[in-house]
Parts: sequence; structure tokens; C-alpha cells
Amino acid sequence: MAEIIFNNVNKYFFLQHQKTLKELVQAIFKKQKTLERVHALKNLNFFIKKGEVVGIVGKNGAGKSTLLKLIAGVSAPTSGSLEIKEMVSPLIELGAGFHPELTGRENIFLNGVILGLKEDYIKKKFNEIVAFSEIARFIDTPIKYYSSGMYMRLAFSVAIFTDPKILLVDEILAVGDTAFQAKCLTKMNEFKDKGVTIIFVSHALETVRAFCTRVLYLKKGELMYDGEVNKGIDQYINEK
Amino acid sequence: MRNNMLKYWELIKHLTLREIKGRYKQSFLGFFWIILNPFFQMVIMSFVFSTIMKQQGLGIPYPIFLYAGLLPWLFFSNSLGSAMNSLTSNSSLVKKIYFPREILVLATLVAKVFDFILAFIIFAILMLVFKINLSWYMLLYIPIFFLQFFFTYGLSLLLSALNLFYRDVQYLFDLVLTLWFYLTPVIYATEFFPEKYRFIFKLNPMSVFINAYRQVLFKGDFPKWESLVVGLLISLGLYLVSHRLFKKMEGTFADVV
Repeated sequence: MAEIIFNNVNKYFFLQHQKTLKELVQAIFKKQKTLERVHALKNLNFFIKKGEVVGIVGKNGAGKSTLLKLIAGVSAPTSGSLEIKEMVSPLIELGAGFHPELTGRENIFLNGVILGLKEDYIKKKFNEIVAFSEIARFIDTPIKYYSSGMYMRLAFSVAIFTDPKILLVDEILAVGDTAFQAKCLTKMNEFKDKGVTIIFVSHALETVRAFCTRVLYLKKGELMYDGEVNKGIDQYINEK
Repeated sequence: MRNNMLKYWELIKHLTLREIKGRYKQSFLGFFWIILNPFFQMVIMSFVFSTIMKQQGLGIPYPIFLYAGLLPWLFFSNSLGSAMNSLTSNSSLVKKIYFPREILVLATLVAKVFDFILAFIIFAILMLVFKINLSWYMLLYIPIFFLQFFFTYGLSLLLSALNLFYRDVQYLFDLVLTLWFYLTPVIYATEFFPEKYRFIFKLNPMSVFINAYRQVLFKGDFPKWESLVVGLLISLGLYLVSHRLFKKMEGTFADVV
């Protein structure tokens, strides 16, 4: 059963070159571009089934992030239709809403509810989350005193307790030390074995090769390849 | 929509707490600024206006009269100031995670209500010091405040969305607020204005609310219902328009923020 269906999806957005009226007025006088219409995704048709692990590859600006935004529901398609049948857990923004002045403990709750968890559930899982993050000693310290590694560990720990049906992952494995990265990959594999649908955006092609069961290759907003992992990546490398 | 907001109650709560805690942890005096700032504004203004402008015939001491208008006004202008930036300053959330965006605006305003309540404590003490008669009518302050909150919310939705597209909206609106302040009976009473100009106050919801507050606090009487109804209708109309626009633009917030 398809969980994510893209039906002739197009996404345009306007690149606003000026953010203030002053700049806008100047630009009009100088006859510069003011609004640029960008065709970010071109006529995408595909569906993703439950339990698939899909890697999305492509150069910067190919539309990978836009695609994730559409799936996450934060951005609407300009034309075409898009169906998402399960709750999406975005692992694309680790530490969403983290406030530097608040303690680790307070941020776990804040970040948890932003990711759609219930407060009771967070309370119940609190010790596990802290244990996974390995920063129990600093849990009542404001996170502005955390190292970036500690910060990411805390953020990742909350994110993996979201019990997702569809997981969006954007370059997150590039953070933390090797030991923690390994731990993350183990966790991702657990999700994979549990049958969670995973959409994975990464420039780390070897990870995509090892981890994904399908590849979508985007080029300038167009879907160039959809299918077997090694073939897709090879095509991407050849065209690069 | 109600149903929706109930579902997101915990999110609203935690975003509001973040707003409040984050602010107070940053400064040494923390909570005191929230109380002291409006208090000193009141002291300065009452010194200026009671000696220079000779406000008379108010029936109550001028500092109390002024404070009763200044607190709701400061709530209004501070709320708009923060709400306008609530989407831009949470750009990482707006870009990545879906939840109804008006929650960001709402949480900002609720945090301001907290400030308002703190500042109100000093006001309440002053009322006791100046021996204002207590009456049951004072309880009507709360529903009037809810109405003011509703009005502020409607305007915040509109401005926060517009500010996302052009950042000048906030500067422009700062100017509007300055003018609006003088067209609202904060430092003076409506009776000081010639009859033929008083329609301004009838159509200005902030004026309606402030007059109603003073009515229930100092006159021991019901507010003027017909003006409150005008205030309610304007608030409702504003909310319906703003909310619709906000929802319509919501799908593009992530692209422009």
C-alpha cells in the first residue's frame, strides 16, 4: 500500500530578491529583478510504499529539500496533488525549537511536543531519552553551555523516541563523533527493520548505498531516475 | 479550529513557557523589569502630564487613571511587536515541521499576558494605596481583557504574515502605533475632546476597551454596552479576515521565511 503519493506535483516559488521596501524601490529604479519565479519541482510522479527506504540524491539546488518540505507538510504544492497517509516525523531539523537559555530537561519536553509527542509519554520515556543521549550529568544545565556534540546527541535522542511511521532524514548523520554516528545508524536500522518508511537525503553516497532500498535522483527539479540504488547513484556520479 | 487548537494545547503551553523562561533567564533582574518598566513609564508620564497638562475633573488621582490605560496599551503594543516577529524568529520551525502556524503567534501573545498579569499586581496595590472603592463590577475587567486579547490576536495574525513577506511592515507599524497611542485615551480622558471628534474613539477598539476598563474599575458601573458591541464586531471582522488570509498564505511561509 502506498503511503506517499505524488501526482503531477509542481512547485514554484518566488525568489524574493529584496526583503525590505527600500531595496525594492531601489531595484525597481535600477530595473533589477525583483521577483524570480523558480520552478523547483517539475511534474513529479511517484509513490512510496510502506517500509521502503528511499534515498534522495542530487546536487545542491536540485530540489531535495523542497521535496522534503512537501512531504513534511510545511510547504504546499503549486499544482498537482500529494497524499500522505501516515504521520510524518521530521528528523530533518534536530533540536527544533531548542532554546539556549533552557536546560536540557526543559528542552527535551519542548522539543518533544514540537515533534508531536504527548507530555505524559515524554515523562515516561524521560530516563531512556537521557540515557541514550549520554549527558545525564548536564541535564539541568542550560544548553548554551553544551558542546555542539552534546547538543546534537540530546536532539537526536528526543527525535528517535517519536515512534515514527514515516521518517524524514536530512544529513543528520554528519554530526557527532564516530561512536555516536554508529549508534545513530544502528537506531536507523532498527527503524528500518520495524518497517518504518524512511526518506533519506544525503550527500554521503556510500551511506545511501548501504542503507537505502531505492533511490530517487533529482536534477534541477526533475526526477531523472527512480529505482535500484546502485544504478541511480552511478547515473548521478556520471552526470556530476 | 477549536478542536484543532485543543489538540495542540501542550504545544502552545510549552512554546509559551519557552518564551517566558527564555526571557527571564537572560537578565539578572528578570521578572522585576516586567513590573518596573510600566511602573516607571507611569511615574514619568504622570509627572509630565499632571503638571503640564493639568488634567482635571477625573474624580480619581491621575497616576491611577493613567495606569489603568497604560497597562492595557502596553500589552497591546508589546504583543504586536513580538507577534510580528514570531514567524521570522522561528524560521527553523516554520521551514521544517508542520503544525498550525498560528500557534507561534498565539504562544507569543499568551507569554505577554503573563507579563501583563505581573505588571497588574503593582497596579492593584496602587489602587489600594489610593483607596479606590472595590466593587463587584471590577470582575468585568476579565471578560473585557479577553475581548482585547481577541482583537490583538486578529491583528497579530495579519501583521505577522505580512511581515514575513516584507520586513518593513514592522517599522511601518511602529509609526502607526505611535499615532494610534495619541488617538487612544491613555493619557487623557475622551471627555477632553470636542464632541464632534469623539467618533474616533467609538471606532477605535483600543479606546473602547480602555474606556470600559476605567468604567468598571473606577465608576463602579457596567461598561457602555453599545461601544463594547462595536469593539466586538470590529474584533470579530478583523479576526475572520486575518485568519483566512493567514491560512491562505500558510503554505508559502516555509518558502519565504
